[in-house]
Amino acid sequence: MKAFSYVTAQTADSAVSLVGDRGRFLAGGMDLLGEMKDGLVEPALLVNVKAVPGTREIAAGRGTWTVGANVTLTRLAEHAEVRKVFPGLAQAAEAVGSPQMRNGATVGGNLAQHSRCWYYRQRDARCVKKGGARCLARGGENKYHSVLAHTMCLSPCVANLAVALAALDASVVVQRGAKTVTLTVAQLYEKAWTDAKAHHSLGSDELILRVEVPVVAGARSVYVKVAEKSEFDWALVSCAAAGRVEGGQFRGVRLALGSVAAVPWQMQEANAFLEGKPATDETAAGAAAILLRDAEAREHNGYKIPVAKALVRRALAALGA
Amino acid sequence: MPWPKETKFLGKETPRVEGPAKVSGRAKYTGDVAPAGVLYGAIFRSKWPAARVKSVNLAKARIAPGIKAAILARDGEFDVRYYGDEIAALAGTSKQAVLDALALIEVSAEPRAFVVKEVDALKTDAPTVVAGRANLTEGAAKETGDVEAAFAASAAVVETRVSTPIQVHHPMETHGHTVQWDGEELSAWSSTQGVFACRDSFAKSLNVAQNRVRVRCEHMGGGFGSKFTPGAEGVLCARLARAAGAPVKLMLTRFEEGLAVGNRPSSFQKLKLGADADGKLTAFEIYSFGTPGHTAGANTGGGSGGASFPAPYLYKPAATRVKQGSVAVNAGQSCAFRAPGHPVASVGMEAVLDDLAVKLGMDPVEIRVKNDPFDVRRREYAIGAEQFGWKQKYRKPGTMAGAVKTGVGCAGAAWMSGGKGTQAEIQVNADGTVEVRVGTQDLGTGSRTVVQVVAAEMLGLGLDRLTVRIGDSRLPPSGSSGGSQTTAAVSPAVFDACENVVAELKKLSGIEDPRGENWQAACAKIGNLPLQVRGKWREGLSTGGAGGVQFAEVEVDTETGFVKVKKLLVVQDCGLVVNKLTCESQINGGVIMGLGYALYEQRVMDARTGFVLNPTLENYKLPGAADMPEIEILLIDMPERGVIGVGEPCTVPTAAAIANAVANAIGVRVPDLPLTPDRVLAALGQVPKGTADTVRRPGAWVDGRASVAAAPVAPWVERNGGGQAYR
Amino acid sequence: MAGGVSRRIFLKSLGTSAVTAAALGADTVSQGLAQANAERAQGPGAVAVAFTVNGEKRTLMVEPRVTLLEALRGNLGLTGAKEACDRATCGACTVLLNDTPVYACSMLAIEAQGAAITTIEGLARDGKLTALQQAMVEQDGLQCGFCSPGMVMVLTALLRKNPHPTEAEVRRAIAGNLCRCGSYPRIVAATLAASGQKPVTQLNVISLHDHALA
Repeated sequence: MKAFSYVTAQTADSAVSLVGDRGRFLAGGMDLLGEMKDGLVEPALLVNVKAVPGTREIAAGRGTWTVGANVTLTRLAEHAEVRKVFPGLAQAAEAVGSPQMRNGATVGGNLAQHSRCWYYRQRDARCVKKGGARCLARGGENKYHSVLAHTMCLSPCVANLAVALAALDASVVVQRGAKTVTLTVAQLYEKAWTDAKAHHSLGSDELILRVEVPVVAGARSVYVKVAEKSEFDWALVSCAAAGRVEGGQFRGVRLALGSVAAVPWQMQEANAFLEGKPATDETAAGAAAILLRDAEAREHNGYKIPVAKALVRRALAALGA
Repeated sequence: MPWPKETKFLGKETPRVEGPAKVSGRAKYTGDVAPAGVLYGAIFRSKWPAARVKSVNLAKARIAPGIKAAILARDGEFDVRYYGDEIAALAGTSKQAVLDALALIEVSAEPRAFVVKEVDALKTDAPTVVAGRANLTEGAAKETGDVEAAFAASAAVVETRVSTPIQVHHPMETHGHTVQWDGEELSAWSSTQGVFACRDSFAKSLNVAQNRVRVRCEHMGGGFGSKFTPGAEGVLCARLARAAGAPVKLMLTRFEEGLAVGNRPSSFQKLKLGADADGKLTAFEIYSFGTPGHTAGANTGGGSGGASFPAPYLYKPAATRVKQGSVAVNAGQSCAFRAPGHPVASVGMEAVLDDLAVKLGMDPVEIRVKNDPFDVRRREYAIGAEQFGWKQKYRKPGTMAGAVKTGVGCAGAAWMSGGKGTQAEIQVNADGTVEVRVGTQDLGTGSRTVVQVVAAEMLGLGLDRLTVRIGDSRLPPSGSSGGSQTTAAVSPAVFDACENVVAELKKLSGIEDPRGENWQAACAKIGNLPLQVRGKWREGLSTGGAGGVQFAEVEVDTETGFVKVKKLLVVQDCGLVVNKLTCESQINGGVIMGLGYALYEQRVMDARTGFVLNPTLENYKLPGAADMPEIEILLIDMPERGVIGVGEPCTVPTAAAIANAVANAIGVRVPDLPLTPDRVLAALGQVPKGTADTVRRPGAWVDGRASVAAAPVAPWVERNGGGQAYR
Repeated sequence: MAGGVSRRIFLKSLGTSAVTAAALGADTVSQGLAQANAERAQGPGAVAVAFTVNGEKRTLMVEPRVTLLEALRGNLGLTGAKEACDRATCGACTVLLNDTPVYACSMLAIEAQGAAITTIEGLARDGKLTALQQAMVEQDGLQCGFCSPGMVMVLTALLRKNPHPTEAEVRRAIAGNLCRCGSYPRIVAATLAASGQKPVTQLNVISLHDHALA
């Protein structure tokens, strides 16, 4: 790790002004410290944002819940009300890493984490995300990579919470300069879809403050994943679903897939397809087919397509269960 | 006297002597030792998979703040043959100082063409890993009987292809040493499996007399075959300490652990097996190759140096043809790894045998009992099958309905080694306390406790009267801990020393049997100086030749490809059981390591950059607590055979049994280990074929078309002109 | 408050010298000063960090880049917590930070400013092992022992929160701790034993000569 200076920000406002263009925000540090140890980033200043007021609360509001960016994943996963109202969110938090990791990791950090691609993380590899000319996963070892890609980079979004929050139609509130802006989950990641160098849409001086999750009467949510190991392993594919099953029919259901694209993969067409249709495995398979329609298998990641389809069916079955 | 029949400690459950120290953080491992003024050492490694190093400039690093020593790994011009090869080393006053200085080392080198995939390295126009030497080393085919005729006469013949990955040891404690010089005397605290081997290797590498080197290893955090010598890191650590005139601690990082300190060779096996209508094996043929790393060397037959392994494994068809090869690639060299060769051999042999059983319509247990030449193992199959409920659980392959299918499989193991050559010393004090000294080491196998148990049993004393000293080359010589030999080597030596103690005490005190209740009275006659007696390993108290069979039950999710092992039953013979508690732990550990080999573990190399992509525990996946099946162990007690080591045989058949269970569940064989979801789904025919990307590596070995000269190195590498420190 | 750029200049000037009150209103200045002092960047050289370790107040001088694990092992000589991966993947470095298990390798020492840290050395008092440690020894919940300090820390936290965990809860609690020797079954058994539950042993020694099938 290169030497750096360290400061604890007392407000969101000062955090974004302190960080400048050579600093990085430090919350749980689970992602950032690894990047620094591997020499992938060499910030001159770390701005600890854990003291920023109002970022540690989980608050039930009228129609919308607010989850602060510095809420740890352990707290989110164990929060009794969250487990009841947004089980998919709690499940997604619980599926992150290990207990110690969840004790440190934060909601904001999970959403803003950088690529886990093993070429990106390899300190000596010069890939497109690090300013090189090519994506080394293309034509390389791409079994953990995207089946839906728009840029040269094949690194997928692996943030569990992004997938769950996308299905829950949540918003992300971000400090941008002196103002706060509210983004959809899609907006939070859209830059990663269009810019191979981007991990998400946020600038280095933009700070996630909280997420806002709408409550929909009668809706359920679920998050499922498949990994190689039973615990403490990245999802090969994950799927979140939220919505209602009324009178045996899907209502207002939203789907999102993780680890298949640079963004949490959502298609309005798939959600619309489900609307009012009987809550059956056949309907679910139809939605899965739409979601994966444009998926393209690389040399080693074709398996993700059937796995994703299976998970969509399982998530939708769990919604109705 | 022989081993006693009625025992107080032998074969009972004795907690580890060092347990309290280990669970309270008091146990000092190599990295915890801190002699006054100890410096932090680190290695600067090649980031090229192959290059000619012309010069290394340490000038800037040497004068960096806090740096006390800067040395070259090798003098003059030299070749580096893999990503991670040693180039230089630094020692300084803090980790941070050394990290900063490593970035100042400058290397001038000519990158060379390289090859890291076994199949690529076989091609005729592949770059040669060692100049002037073919990548592939093949022994001549070894034949017994008339193979073609035997196959032709067989009632059933099957051909099976399997591959096994490079498995990396990844002990929790990385490789490393703390070294201190006192004039020409070297003291090392080493994480090692052999304090004497380590001592001699230090002496040779550093040109120091053996009587001036002392190696200590009070506690060490696992080795599994990878810590028999000081390694390059130990020698560099000692040289740094000499250059700095201060003690140096050099512990490798996890990243380095994934590159440079050994692994289990890979294998690609094509097997063919024939049997008569009764299922009696008639003919066997194997062609295999794998990589042992950058130096393929000679065909060793044992599997630890080259990539060959025992074949045919366990079974003895009359007609056999065996051809094995080792192929060099630009990657870290293999070394011994828990039961070298055997798990590799087992995966192939047990697979083709099960496939043959299916073809014959025979039960897998039945075909094994019919063909296994070792009577102990045959009986273990019978005992295990009953305990496992094999008859109730076994179905014809792939006949289960539903998305999640269960399956069962079994496999056997052999392990040959015994253990000799150890000495023990016992000092008896006038107050009746006893110190037992053996220059062995405890890898986590419980050898310290073995010494204690044997001495307490033979002297008729309570455990609290005994202290045990091990892990020091100043103690009576003992061999390295490899080949499951430690318990079988150490126990007889302690036994012998105890006999000598009893004889001496009898002479000294006039008490006919000075053991047990007479001990105190006998010791009172010892006088001012303690009684010191030696013992030696001798015949008749230990042996080799453990068998062992395992049964696996798995659940396979055919929609996601996920494999969950539900149960593993181990039936293991180990002769006389010395300590049930540590014996069970050893077997649990072997099984879990085998489970990792079956389902999760593999080193992944990148063809274009030559980098190891997963030198981390994030992507090199070790089994965790959640992955544990129910493990049941039936230990076959055969005290008349004496002490037999158990550490290796228990890891041999696990992967084969699991792979067979998966094949039984889904009705097709998943040929390549580890059995990850992508491979299971591929075997089920559910994976759409991948489109080869348009972005191709120049000089790639795609269909063997590309030429060597076109293989560039530099464009893929982050910082040209430097090596890398892996902190 | 002004926009980012002017604020940064303000803070920079505060970091090195005083700021004139004339530039801002008096209230803003006192608030700004308090905040800016709190927000003064430290390092990159060694800075003073104070926290409580095993009940004792400790102050040390470390660079901000020094991890909590490096500080505990190197500066304080508490070598119980182990460095095995240095990347939050194995759990050997686990310590309790305000009673919560964390990876000491993946937080900075400076982040622990003011916190209460418990390391493995802080559990056994006067050489007397805790019930869990005792059970780990008796049930052989260890082999090489390198993962043991981390395992004991995470399980100590579990038993404080949940004195009678199920086997599944124990397994989940140690999901972030790797053991290459494969001691998991005995670690689980030890934890159940420590919580007053009957540990399961799956080992049976049978005599080949007496067995009906042999």
